[in-house]
Amino acid sequence: MINLIQSLLYGLTIGGVLYIISVGLSLTFGAMGIVNFSHGLVYAVGAYAVYTVAKLLGAGYLLGLVAAIVVSIPLSYLIERLVIRRLYGQAIDYAIIATYAVLLIGADSLRWVYGASPLPISDPVGVLWTFGGLQMPAFRLIIIILSGLIFIGLNLFFKKTLVGKIVVAGLQDREAVRSLGIKVERHFAIVFVIGSALAALGGALYAPLSTLDPYMGFEILILCFAVVIVGGMGNLTGTTIAAFALGMVHSLTAVYIVSSAADAAVYVVMAAVLIFRPIEA
Amino acid sequence: MFAKIEKNQALTLGLIAALFLVYAYTTSLPRITDFIIFCIFVMGFDLLYGHMGQLSFGHMLYLGAGAYGCGMFAYHVSPNPFVCILMGILTAAGLAALLGQVVVKTGGAAFALLNLALNEVGAYLVLSPMHRITGGEDGLSLFFQSYGFINFGDSVFRFYFCLAVLLLVAFLLLRLVRSPFGNLLKAIKEDEVRARFLGYNTYLYKYVTFIISGAVCGLAGALTSVNLAYCNTSLIAPTRNVEVIFSALIGGAGSVMGAVVGGTAYMTISNYLAAYIVRWEMFLGIALLFFAFYFRKGIWGYARRA
Repeated sequence: MINLIQSLLYGLTIGGVLYIISVGLSLTFGAMGIVNFSHGLVYAVGAYAVYTVAKLLGAGYLLGLVAAIVVSIPLSYLIERLVIRRLYGQAIDYAIIATYAVLLIGADSLRWVYGASPLPISDPVGVLWTFGGLQMPAFRLIIIILSGLIFIGLNLFFKKTLVGKIVVAGLQDREAVRSLGIKVERHFAIVFVIGSALAALGGALYAPLSTLDPYMGFEILILCFAVVIVGGMGNLTGTTIAAFALGMVHSLTAVYIVSSAADAAVYVVMAAVLIFRPIEA
Repeated sequence: MFAKIEKNQALTLGLIAALFLVYAYTTSLPRITDFIIFCIFVMGFDLLYGHMGQLSFGHMLYLGAGAYGCGMFAYHVSPNPFVCILMGILTAAGLAALLGQVVVKTGGAAFALLNLALNEVGAYLVLSPMHRITGGEDGLSLFFQSYGFINFGDSVFRFYFCLAVLLLVAFLLLRLVRSPFGNLLKAIKEDEVRARFLGYNTYLYKYVTFIISGAVCGLAGALTSVNLAYCNTSLIAPTRNVEVIFSALIGGAGSVMGAVVGGTAYMTISNYLAAYIVRWEMFLGIALLFFAFYFRKGIWGYARRA
């Protein structure tokens, strides 16, 4: 029983991180019809920013989180300006190839600077809460709470702010919004940067739970694509539910079957979803 | 000039054979054998990407299925090379027939990503739960029976055998894409809804094409494990998908000749230039961006039109 509760809580952590990363991916897909592999790069850069600030400079984890977000903004703006913007309305395969190329270039740059060997980051809180037989690192609870806050914040952003409303409207009918004289692409670009900043935050949050390596973005990205596909591309509520559901699948498989099967289980769920609800996008 | 060559089937095949012979005897036979096998893989991939218009980001799965189908049969059952290669093709085609039922119903982004996810699952299965029969991380060392001059231990024989297989596959694929079936694939690529409107069951055509593509890639995988005399997890690694996509793109997607040109070009770069390029993946990424933005026709597509 305790084992079950613990693995459910771990599932919530993974789900939270998946949610934080997948939102940007889902928005880029829904708004621009682009499969954005370079999202994985921003995620990895976020993690490395934390490593640099917290471990190499010794300035603490919180400053590292800030650095991750600060670094991701100009980086994602550059990616949007130089690569993504050229891909609007193009065939999807060129978008996949071009953004994958960005991921390759970025991962190789990270390897150039930091080397290929995995780098660890220790748990920044280091407190282990015990409740009965239940053991839970405080840091994981913080991730769950933070992902909840981001969920609320994003909902407010999309419902209350003008930019958010324009983006939601643009997701449904881009031409109609454009005919009102609103530059939809510019608003999508803002959302792209926000989504990327969240990916960097996700990387920074997940780094202490795993290790860093230059290709870390690739693996988490496929999981996030599974989330986006299961949740319905560009569907924000669907993405949220799918992120936590697949986080549960990941965690329960790791505990009750084998830990190495966790990723594969997520992909199997994704394939099963596609059997019953094929996406012809 | 190149356009004329492409119209004449015998000339195309003759040119491919002549170029590979010259290339092999001016450099090294074993290395060009690798090139030839890779070209078969690119042709199989390009049948889906160039001719049918669906980008798969997980075709290493079918290369791996062919390699392991062939390798496991050789290791556990019988070292007869021809039966092993046949088993490789059947494994890949069977897997494509099974997974294709789901994969082909999707399109565009979902098609690419579902293939990638399935490739991840396949690589995991080979590495961990099936490690007793696949050799896990160490892979399998293979031995193949020789019959007189049919000796797969001999690199000269392997070269000519692979070249013959390449020509056979190129011949069959050229026939396929120029048949009414190939025309329909082109129609599906241009506009699937309209093709469906004309009364064609486009799902069935896509499914069959997916199986053929899987079988050709499986053949390439089987030849790889015969050629290397081992098979390991690098033959099913999802991160290597970019190689075949890159090759199809630089050669010029949508033409059998383009696949051969692209495969040879990529292998030449990665075998001979990689030693001088310190940051290989960065180079690959920049080249990919260049081809995706400015040179979509590819080398062969450009030569054909010029």
